[in-house]
Amino acid sequence: MDHKNSEEAALVRRVQARDELAFRELVERHQSKVFSIIYGILRNHNDAEDIAQQVFAKVYFSIRNFDFRSSLLTWIYKITVNECYDYLRKKRVRKLVYESDFSQEDAQRMEASEPAVDQSVAADTSLAQRDLVAKLLEKVSPEDRNLILLKEVEGHSVEELAAMTGLNENTIKVKLFRTRQKLLKAAQRLGRVRATLK
Amino acid sequence: MHRLIRDHLEEVIAGLQSAPVEKHLSECDECRDEVTGMREHAALLQVLRTPPAVEVSIEQRPGFYARVMDRIEAQTPASIWRGFFESAFGRRIAIASLALAVLFGVYMVTSEQTDQIVTATQTNQVLAGPIPGEDEPGLVLAPAGTPGGQPDDDAVLANLVTYQEQ
Repeated sequence: MDHKNSEEAALVRRVQARDELAFRELVERHQSKVFSIIYGILRNHNDAEDIAQQVFAKVYFSIRNFDFRSSLLTWIYKITVNECYDYLRKKRVRKLVYESDFSQEDAQRMEASEPAVDQSVAADTSLAQRDLVAKLLEKVSPEDRNLILLKEVEGHSVEELAAMTGLNENTIKVKLFRTRQKLLKAAQRLGRVRATLK
Repeated sequence: MHRLIRDHLEEVIAGLQSAPVEKHLSECDECRDEVTGMREHAALLQVLRTPPAVEVSIEQRPGFYARVMDRIEAQTPASIWRGFFESAFGRRIAIASLALAVLFGVYMVTSEQTDQIVTATQTNQVLAGPIPGEDEPGLVLAPAGTPGGQPDDDAVLANLVTYQEQ
């Protein structure tokens, strides 16, 4: 697919020339997709807004480096996913800091005040699954992570991924295979760690 | 994992498998286990899909572009030149400084040219011989005793030194 001569490429060139109307069009065209990707990963409206703003700020500052090898959406998708994982990493660091300040006494008091029965088992399961997915995806490179998400979450075919990324279909298949293997190994390691902790 | 499965992995995970693939999977434990794990992960990744109802509510948030532009402005690196060109006073100072620099440049160039002309004239006068109307023996460039009437270089230098001392 020729990413250099499309209508989208013309829009990108205008944004690269710092045409604010063109940038506005770009934001309006892609904002719902960006929100949807962020919400899919984080499940939080307030954080989604904040990260989406940061994604478009990054798009604005780095669009001059966009080289038309992939589609604009693929490029924005990559920035969005990376931004989400940066956010999750920072949040985890903050959480660790807070937890280290949390005394044994505080924990006991909090446990005593919590209801004995979980309010929503389904919500917990979903939360645990998303937590596991986030941990597994952190074990693969940002490029592989984007590719597997575009395939499994966005539902693109191998042919579409080849067109979107500018890579050939065989390369896409090999990359997907390796990513799936890495995820399997990461899951096995996590399982072993959990088993040791129990 | 065996090559047959690896080559058709995407179809296998999507549940589109041919007879040879199915046959191999029924016979090979290693491939079957790996494919099962990969299928489970593919299914697990579906938790990252955004429900359509949420997508609709996300689309209705107003003023997003303005907030993005505010953030861009906040993140734009501040430049010392920005303050100059953004206020009228700063612009006036910048123009005045520029004009002063041009004037100074012009002055430097013209004064340098005048100095060169004066120096060249004086040198020519010294080399040409005594200045008319002046009776100074030190300025005579053709000293006596030079064979063939050719000026002696040492004598010329001595004359120049004497001239500068006077």
